[in-house]
Amino acid sequence: MSRTISIEPVTRIEGHARITLQLADTGEVEDAKFHLTQFRGFEKFCEGRPYREMPALTARTCGICPVSHLLASNKACDDLLAVTIPPTAEKLRRIMNLAQLLQSHALSFFHLSSPDLLLGWDSDPAQRNIFGVMRADPQLAKNGIRLRQIGQTIIETLGGKKIHPTWVVPGGVNEPLTAEKRDAMLAMLPEALTIAKDTYAFYKTLVPKFQDEASHFGTMKTLFLSLVSPDGHLEHCNGYLRIKDAEGRIVEDMVPPGEYPRLIGEAVEDFSYMKFPYYKPLGYPKGIYRVGPLARLNNADACGTPYADVALAEFHTLQEDSGPIASSFHYHYARLVEIIYAIESMQRLLKAPSILDTRVRARARGNKSEGIGVSEAPRGTLMHHYKIDDEGLITWVNLIIATGHNNLAMNRSIKQVADAYVDGTDVKEGMLNRVEAVIRCYDPCLSCASHAFGQMPMVVEIANAAGEVVRRIARG
Amino acid sequence: MTTLIIGYGSPIRGDDAVGPLLADRIAGRIEQGAWPAGTEVQARHILTAELVEDLHRAARVVFIDAAAGGTPGEIRTRRVQPDPGAPSTMAHFHDPRELLAWCEGLYGAAPEAWLVTVSGAAWDYGHFDLSPTVQAVLPAALEVLADLCVHEAAAIDT
Repeated sequence: MSRTISIEPVTRIEGHARITLQLADTGEVEDAKFHLTQFRGFEKFCEGRPYREMPALTARTCGICPVSHLLASNKACDDLLAVTIPPTAEKLRRIMNLAQLLQSHALSFFHLSSPDLLLGWDSDPAQRNIFGVMRADPQLAKNGIRLRQIGQTIIETLGGKKIHPTWVVPGGVNEPLTAEKRDAMLAMLPEALTIAKDTYAFYKTLVPKFQDEASHFGTMKTLFLSLVSPDGHLEHCNGYLRIKDAEGRIVEDMVPPGEYPRLIGEAVEDFSYMKFPYYKPLGYPKGIYRVGPLARLNNADACGTPYADVALAEFHTLQEDSGPIASSFHYHYARLVEIIYAIESMQRLLKAPSILDTRVRARARGNKSEGIGVSEAPRGTLMHHYKIDDEGLITWVNLIIATGHNNLAMNRSIKQVADAYVDGTDVKEGMLNRVEAVIRCYDPCLSCASHAFGQMPMVVEIANAAGEVVRRIARG
Repeated sequence: MTTLIIGYGSPIRGDDAVGPLLADRIAGRIEQGAWPAGTEVQARHILTAELVEDLHRAARVVFIDAAAGGTPGEIRTRRVQPDPGAPSTMAHFHDPRELLAWCEGLYGAAPEAWLVTVSGAAWDYGHFDLSPTVQAVLPAALEVLADLCVHEAAAIDT
C-alpha cells in the first residue's frame, strides 16, 4: 500500500511549512509538495491606507528582513512621487541594504545551515543544532554571532534601531550621516572581512565532501532572475532585471524594474498559501526560475569588489561546464561570496567623500497613480507594486517576495532529494533531514512569502495512496 | 558594566511595548544620574542572537517583557536559568533562557539573570499606547527594576 510522509514543522527556516511525500506501493516517491500553511493577507489589508504608511506597514511583514521591505516599499513610493533621490541618499540606502544582507546571510549560514554542514545530515538530531555547532566549532558559532552583530549595528547606526528602522523614507532618507557614525561603522568592517574570508576559506575545504548533495539538492535546469547594475555587475538596490537561461544565455536584459509585469506571472495551487511566480513567455510551470544569491552570482558579469571577484571566479568552477551553477546546494557558497561583497562594498561606499553630504531627501507629493519598487533582498528579488487614488490612498497592492519566486524550484527540489534519498520501505531521519535541508538551501522566509504571522516551525508527512497520513515528523 | 537591562516587545501592539518603554525610561534616568551606577540598558523589538555578546559582558541581566497571563498590571520577578530547550523560533526571536544557554555554550558561563514581567490587558495591532492599567504600574515596575540593579542575587524569586 502506498503511503505519505509528512515533515512538519520544517525546522531551521523562517516560517511555518509542511512537506508531504507521497509514496507508491513499492516505496518509491511518487510526488512531493512544499506547503506554506500560514496566511496573513498584507496585500488586502493595506488597501485604504495612505501610501506614506506603506514602508512602515510592509516592514512589519517580517522581523528578519524588514529592511528589505522598507527599501522596496520606499522605492515604490519614490516612483509614486516621481522623484530621483539624491545620490548620497542612494548610497546610504545601499549601505543599509548590504548590512541587512550581511546579518541575514550570517544567520542562514552560521546558525541555520551549519549544523548540517558541520555535523552531517545523518548525525544525531538531538545534537544537530546550534549547540552542537558550539561544541564542535565554538569559534565558528562566535563568528556567526559577530557578523550578525556587525550587520545589525550598522542598521541601527543608520536607522536608529535594529529592527523596523524608519530612517528610509519616500524620497531618500530622513537624516544625513555624521562623520562619527561613518567612522564607527568603518572601524567594524576589517574584522568582519577577516571573519568572512576565513569562513569562506574554511567552507571551500568542506565543499568536496558534499559532492553527492550538490548533485541532488535542486540540481536542475531553470532560469535565473536578478537585478544587475547598468554595467552587468552584481546589484542589490537599483539597476535592471536580467534573466538567464540554464545554458547561460541572457533572455531578458536591462529591463526596467517597472516592466516586471511583462516578465512575471503568478499562479496559485490549492496546496499552499504561497503564490507560484513564473516567467510569462514560457508559461506555467515551464517558466520556472530561481532568485537569490545563486541567481545573482549566475547573472552577474562581475561583483566589482576585489576579493568577491576572486571568490566569484572560484564559484564558477563548482561545476565542470561553463553554464550557470545548477545546484541549489551552492546557495550556501553564493551566500558567503555575497557576505564578502557586502563588506567590501560598504567599505567603499563609506569612504566616498560625498557620503556626508547633507542633501539626502527629495520632497514631493504623489505625482503618479502607480508605483513599483524592486530591490534585492537577501533571499532574492523583492517587488512592491502600489496603486493610489487622488487622495493618496492605496487602492491595490501586489507584493512578489523572494521566497515566492523560488516556490516552483523548492517544490521541484524536494522531489529530487526525495527521489535520491528517501527509501519508503525504511524511512530514516537522516533521509528526511535532507528533504528539509534542501529547503534550507533557499533560506526561505515564509513569513514574507505569505506575508504571514506566527511561529516558525515546519512538518514532513508521509501518506499512502489513499491519502492517509502514515507518518508525521513535527519539530521546532 | 555590572547589570544589563533588556526590555523587549513590539511597540505597535499595545501592552507588548511595556518592555522597551520601561527600558527607554531607565535610559532617561541613567542620563540624569538617577539610576544605580554600572547599568546598561537596551530596548529591543525581539531578542536576537547577537545579544549573546552583550550578555557575556554583564555580571547580571534583567529581561523585561510583557506577560499574557496573570492579572493585568501584575508585576512578577523570577530568576531564569540557561535552557537550550527553551521554546524559540531560532531565526526570528529567542527566549531569554535560550539566549543564556547560547552564552553558556559559547563563553563557558552565563550571567545571573532575572525576568521581570508586567501582565498586559490589550494587544491589538497598530496600538501605540499602553492600557491604563499597565500605564499605572510603570512607577512600581521601575522600583522593582532599580532594586534588582542594587541588591545582590539573593532576594527575589517571587
